[in-house]
Amino acid sequence: MKKTFQNIFWVMLTALPLSACMDNVDEPNTDDFIITSPTSIGETNYSIAQLKEDKSALFTQTNAFEKIEEDLIIEGVVAANDAGGNLYQTILLRDIDEAAGTDQAIVLGIKNTWLCPYFPLGQRVKVNLKNLYVGCYSKLPKIGQPYYTSSGNLRLGAMLIQLCATNVELVGTPDPSCPECQPKTLDVQWLRASANKNYMNYPMLVTISGTMKEADGEAIFAPEELQDAGYGVDRTLSVKEGNLSTSVTVRTSTQNAVAFTVMPTDKRAYTGLLSYYDSWQIQLRGVDDISAPVE
Amino acid sequence: MKKGVTLIAAACCAASMLYAQQPADSVSVMTDDNADFTFTESQLDEDNDAAQTVASISSSKSDLYLSDVGYLFSPMRFKVRAYDNAYNQVYMNGLLLNDAELGRFSYGMIGGMNEATRNKESVSGFEPNTFAFAPVGGATSINSRATAFAQGSKLTLSACNRNYLARAMFTHSTGLMDNGWAFAGTVGYRWANEGVIDGTFYNSLSYFLAAEKKIGDRHSLSLVTFGSPTERAQQTAATEEVYWLANSHYYNSNWGYQNGEKRNARVVNDFEPTAILTWDFDIDENKKLVTSAGFKYSMYSTSALGWGGDAYDPRPDYYKNLPSSVFDVWDPNKNNPDYLAENPYLLEQYNTLIEYWTSSEANRQINWDQMYYINRQSELAGGEALYYQERRHNDQMVFSLGSTFNHSINNTHKYALGLQLNTTKGMHYKTMEDLLGGTRYTDIDKFAANDYGMGSIEAQNDLNNPNRMISEGDKFGYDYNIHVNKARLWGQYRYDKARFGLTLAGHMEGTTIERDGLMRNGRAPMNSYGKSGKAGFLGGGGKAIFNYRPAANHRFTLAAGYDAAAPLARNAFVAARMQNNFVNNLRLENISSAELSYAFRFGNFSGKLSGFYSRFDNGVEQTAFYNDQEERFTYLTMSDVSKQHYGLEAAFVYQITSALSVKLIGTFSEAEYINNPYAQLNYEGMDAKTTEQLNVWKNPVTGAEMPLRVIADGIHLSGTPLAAVSLGVDYNVNGWFFSANLNYYDKVYVGFSQYRRLSNVIGNYVAGGIGPDGNLAFDISKAELNEYGGVLFNPEGQVVDTYTAEQEKFDGGFMLDASIGKYIRLKKGRSLSINLSLNNITNNTNMRTGGYEQNRDDYYNTGVARSYRFSKNNRYYYAYAFNAFLNIGYRF
Repeated sequence: MKKTFQNIFWVMLTALPLSACMDNVDEPNTDDFIITSPTSIGETNYSIAQLKEDKSALFTQTNAFEKIEEDLIIEGVVAANDAGGNLYQTILLRDIDEAAGTDQAIVLGIKNTWLCPYFPLGQRVKVNLKNLYVGCYSKLPKIGQPYYTSSGNLRLGAMLIQLCATNVELVGTPDPSCPECQPKTLDVQWLRASANKNYMNYPMLVTISGTMKEADGEAIFAPEELQDAGYGVDRTLSVKEGNLSTSVTVRTSTQNAVAFTVMPTDKRAYTGLLSYYDSWQIQLRGVDDISAPVE
Repeated sequence: MKKGVTLIAAACCAASMLYAQQPADSVSVMTDDNADFTFTESQLDEDNDAAQTVASISSSKSDLYLSDVGYLFSPMRFKVRAYDNAYNQVYMNGLLLNDAELGRFSYGMIGGMNEATRNKESVSGFEPNTFAFAPVGGATSINSRATAFAQGSKLTLSACNRNYLARAMFTHSTGLMDNGWAFAGTVGYRWANEGVIDGTFYNSLSYFLAAEKKIGDRHSLSLVTFGSPTERAQQTAATEEVYWLANSHYYNSNWGYQNGEKRNARVVNDFEPTAILTWDFDIDENKKLVTSAGFKYSMYSTSALGWGGDAYDPRPDYYKNLPSSVFDVWDPNKNNPDYLAENPYLLEQYNTLIEYWTSSEANRQINWDQMYYINRQSELAGGEALYYQERRHNDQMVFSLGSTFNHSINNTHKYALGLQLNTTKGMHYKTMEDLLGGTRYTDIDKFAANDYGMGSIEAQNDLNNPNRMISEGDKFGYDYNIHVNKARLWGQYRYDKARFGLTLAGHMEGTTIERDGLMRNGRAPMNSYGKSGKAGFLGGGGKAIFNYRPAANHRFTLAAGYDAAAPLARNAFVAARMQNNFVNNLRLENISSAELSYAFRFGNFSGKLSGFYSRFDNGVEQTAFYNDQEERFTYLTMSDVSKQHYGLEAAFVYQITSALSVKLIGTFSEAEYINNPYAQLNYEGMDAKTTEQLNVWKNPVTGAEMPLRVIADGIHLSGTPLAAVSLGVDYNVNGWFFSANLNYYDKVYVGFSQYRRLSNVIGNYVAGGIGPDGNLAFDISKAELNEYGGVLFNPEGQVVDTYTAEQEKFDGGFMLDASIGKYIRLKKGRSLSINLSLNNITNNTNMRTGGYEQNRDDYYNTGVARSYRFSKNNRYYYAYAFNAFLNIGYRF
């Protein structure tokens, strides 16, 4: 019997190493991880400014789009992304060409909810527009692909993220201190000027100083009970300088840190993505886009 | 001996290539071995968190039908009479082993212990027995005492192509020795680096040790201890579109490559060490007392991916990644050349996604590297991990006691009395398994943070430790205990005369259920921490079984029973992970059942015919799922549930010669919901006020609030064929045995989504007047009602009719199974048995064993139809393709 128990013991002992954990995989090296093209998509042969000029008939409409059939390769720097949570499927590409004297930006819509790791602020990006669509969504110049909204309307939406592998290339490493990441400061005169209210001036990263009209010390930017069909809330930024005044809509989606931020009652500088529908509108990237009190 | 060794060596070589069934020392145990297989193996790949699809498999040797259906129909996960496993009990050495929280027996706890669990008695709900008041689904009593093992040693080697590829088991038993002691033990190992389903693995060690001491002529003490530490990766169901894109019905979205190696996101760790001490007291020849005390500490956990509110859903088959999310491919007005020519961008995107899915295997699996990358980038930017792998623990500590007294007064009168006590502490929590390259994570509910703000109370998972930074191994999210106490008394009286038999049985059962929250949840700050208070239930029931034997080989049985059973603890709380509230309408479930059967033998022809009817009322059922629509973990509880099961069962055997027999076995049944139960909905990320608004169903005429319901009347029970038939032939000669079975399955239904059938989600229609036929006229056709469901109101606001949304019925189909075996007697009492079983020989890869509807509806809140039709995209499981099991047993 002793031998029998010895046999059982040895069988069990032999079996134990076999049952070592199988769910064990080494951590990956992600230094070279990208979702964009690993090889060059070609030389830049076009610009955002050219695009806006060439397709002006599109950009003057409210909702329109057109497919690009040629290899038009533009370049821009990520000036706004979704890191702060208030922009959705959106990065703002801005291109300052000092030689040409242009400073233009356009929204690149990409169908994914967390783009900032792939497209950090200050990252230079090339986009081959071939097979993508350009146009505008509620007057906002945009690159993407059409879709039907939850209201059943055909609109220019975000492009499939899978297309980044063929149509988008990262250039160099991100530099958040680059000129493209510095917002333009807009004053009341500029905002009031009718001549400025055109697609050549938006989208753009801008800073506007003013006070929130609805601020009472308790009200937050975007309570859910006020949200509209676009899951956002519009507030009013009053901009005054001397006797001149105007207002800018501050649009905030309801599910992010900005939404739950109490609107400051004092004057602040607000930085965000500028657009125009029937009035100027700014969409903050995140809570860091609200400055300390300003004079 | 040399012959045996040679054969084993040959089999070992074959094992690396071949693929499943069971040891068979002789022809006579073949059936039992196979039944054993269905018990312990096919159920192991089930996720205990999901509805177990295999249940109530009896292997009653006295019942021609029940003795065979278990293993015959196991490839289709057949449930006898469609009963849930909770209506079947399993005892070992007199002790009830069913999980007190879930109601079910955990087959994983005896996995790989075939030799130890071979000696068992299974009875249907209407068969007299000596060990229990068997519930409607029957009961099984396993005798695993050391003296129940066959004396000697046995080595079993197996190879298969299922969830594991190889198995080895060694068993030794001393038999009862002169000193009154008997010892037995078995150790086994089951392994698959990758099972037949891609990305799954299997790693399971099992042990069973038994010691028994006879004390005098009348007493015996037995101690058994066993466990089966198992680590196994899981498969998941997918939609037909995904299977099409992957070009396989065995696609598994749970895995992906990490560093070039396959890694599965859902890995089960299961270890349920158990010890049972049994005292057998033969009071005299006719009186026996069996008393057992048991202890179990089970550790069951399963891993899953988790992600923060802003991170993109990492599941590769998330619907937004699928081609059919681009436009409604089910709508003929859109899926036609003209429409697509007008909207070419839709087809472009559709084709882009098809190309993406089909161009690389890695594209259709989890992208682990991407999650690591995002977490690292997030932390570099000052944030924290967005993706992680969590481990959800459902541990238990159980003390139980069982005692059974049997008295045979004489050959005519017998009775049994029994007592079962159980106290169970269920420990439920989750831990951080892997931060996937991250180092920081704050214990807040990201979805609640989106709804109420990062700084809100609601965002906190534990207000007693707000904003707690956690790292790998730490508990987070939820942590609570469930205490269940049960006490059951039962008795049975049996009268047996030449032509008549009568069995009367009854039982009483007391149950208490209590939750003890160990975290103060921010969405339920006042009712999540501490004890819930006890809910108590006193149930019971009885049954009568009447046998009439007009002649020696003919027996009629008429039986009826009634039971009132306490609700299961797992269904008792509105949102157990979050708060202490009990669900509404929590009460005893009433179970009424009846059966009429006729068993006969005419010469070489024997058979059994049965008809049954069962009805369940006041049931409580809960589903918990990640709600894609609301992007929240959701609990949906149905109460006041009524169901009925009825059908016919038949088994016929014709013994053509002593070696050759033909068998025909089948059932045709129905199991369905017969009312529209109350519904209670709770989102884990929402506070009580918001949740209250979810549970409102407003009368479209009066505006009055009505109790929320699930429109379920007419829904069929799922996950099992309700119709199955098998034509089989058995042949055995000179130690060889062959069998072949052609099985046909039908009436398999998809698991229904209660969410999509909520009365405030499904269409509500008010009569617009009287139609030409004199009936109320509605702005919807009967065909549309049958497809999409609806609640019809008369102009006064009264509900006049309800229609549940159509439930998919799978196509029926055939499967052919066969086995061949040889039993070889060797010298010195040694023997060798070889068995090769071939299942699904015709390689039918289109047999759906089950599946479920997705918990989303087809419309946006605006009323506009979504591009992706959830109602057309159910998720399915398929029966294994052609598979084999080679088993070699060497007894020495």
